[in-house]
Amino acid sequence: MSETEFKIPIGPQHPALKEPASFLFTVNGETVVDVEPRIGYNHRGIEKAMESRTYIQNLYIVERVCGICSNAHQTLYCTNVEELAGIKISDRAKYLRMFVHELERIHSHLLWLGVGAHEIGFDTLFYYIWRDREVVMDLLEMISGNRVNYAWNTIGGVRRDLSVDNFPKYHKMLDVLAERTLYYRKVAADEKTVIERTLGVGYLSKDDMIRLCGTGPHARASGVFKDTRYDHPYLAYDEVPFKVITYDGGDVLANILTRVDEVAESVKICKYVLDHLPEGPIKEKFSPLQRVPEGEATNMVEAQRGEDIHYIQSRGDNKPYRYKIRAPTLGNIPSLAEKLKGCYIADIPIIIAGIDPCFSCTDRMSFIEEDREKLWSMTGEELRRYGIKWYKDGNNK
Amino acid sequence: MNIIEDNQNMVNRIIAAIGEENVLESNVPRERRAMVRVKTDKLRDTVTYIKENEGLTHLATISGVDLGEEREIVYHFNKKDIILNLKVRVPADKPIVPSITQIINGAVLYEREVNDLLGVFPEGHPNPKRLNLSEDWPQGVHPLLKKWDIKGLRKVVDGAEWT
Repeated sequence: MSETEFKIPIGPQHPALKEPASFLFTVNGETVVDVEPRIGYNHRGIEKAMESRTYIQNLYIVERVCGICSNAHQTLYCTNVEELAGIKISDRAKYLRMFVHELERIHSHLLWLGVGAHEIGFDTLFYYIWRDREVVMDLLEMISGNRVNYAWNTIGGVRRDLSVDNFPKYHKMLDVLAERTLYYRKVAADEKTVIERTLGVGYLSKDDMIRLCGTGPHARASGVFKDTRYDHPYLAYDEVPFKVITYDGGDVLANILTRVDEVAESVKICKYVLDHLPEGPIKEKFSPLQRVPEGEATNMVEAQRGEDIHYIQSRGDNKPYRYKIRAPTLGNIPSLAEKLKGCYIADIPIIIAGIDPCFSCTDRMSFIEEDREKLWSMTGEELRRYGIKWYKDGNNK
Repeated sequence: MNIIEDNQNMVNRIIAAIGEENVLESNVPRERRAMVRVKTDKLRDTVTYIKENEGLTHLATISGVDLGEEREIVYHFNKKDIILNLKVRVPADKPIVPSITQIINGAVLYEREVNDLLGVFPEGHPNPKRLNLSEDWPQGVHPLLKKWDIKGLRKVVDGAEWT
């Protein structure tokens, strides 16, 4: 470290979302030279807890790995257990799972777009987007009874059915979302405020993204053609037509455009599900203390933030012997650290927000850390205000 | 050609490249899934081979399993139409695996996680510091090992009895 370089600890109160993670930045003037991420503040020991609970009990613990991707984790858990137990779920259950899976993607992406707008100081857009997000939240509440943690899946199928009488209403709500998404696509691509703060910010090339094993919209924004729904079709994704969205930009703007376009695709998938919902039972039997044969299974789903992978080993008991969860954020941290190198301090919040980080997914046990080499520190809110002021004063010119 | 035959052919190519005597176990349980278990000292060669010749550049994660006498480390690689679980086993009294971070850069955090939670040390890792556990967590206590239950952990970490 040369004499002109300083170390700034940022976090554990997170600069982007209100979740704990710590980044130790080495800066030279306004430029970030190096970054060291430190996670683990939210580690709750879920993997260990799952080893001492039955398969049905774990259904509810796995849904609470994350508040936003709750359905993705639960779908994956059910798929894993069903594979080991040899249960084939009905086509109707597959479509119903897919419906909630995509609605969850819409609500998560809209949430992220709002947060992104807030980080660049464009609060009008933030309020607009979050107002429209209420449409999909209402839809989720209408069909499952909950805004998050829908308890929609169970081992062998789903717990509730959709009634045909309500389909016109659902279609109408999805139409509203489609129309608004089109408008945000236009704002993101044309609005000067958005472009000035995001174009070329936090760039990572396609080769680096592949090298660092990035996933999800974050990787697709760097031009990596990788989507679990397309690569390893689960549920009924091999029957539904959809496009894998990629952009070559590799910057925050490309991240925004990827997510807006994915919302539009998800709306189309939801409408397709409503139009083609097959008849049949929604659930196969799985008793509360049922034993699952010995074996192992690995499955992946495309959660909102990237590929989510679960690995299970069973020893023929009614509890898993080992259950491993890897949420997408952990996979995206090495590429995020690479993106932050060379950026301005003022851009840190929006770049970190760019991967849509979720640290309760990533961490699973609690601990305390003393501040190291504390020269001066900033909270996330201070950093955000600093960034907005820095651009207002025209420092980037 | 269908997918499962493709997967089987890929496994056969890996076995041919690494040498049959170095592959301890392999199977293709269903389409899009494959498992290969190699000797620990052949791990780096295998990873280099599948990265350069089979296009498996994406490591999804690394899992560790406590099997009692041994610990199993599972490397989950994937690309279109295949998830490959590459396994090695290390004895519990000498839990050291060669680090693959130099070959697959994305493995950097996963190896630290396995070291924290299962005590399998990645030899040759550029920065093998703690990732999940705090600095004041007692040395040598790896919570995902089967010998630790909540009572035992509470006692060594907080010095308190579980009530």
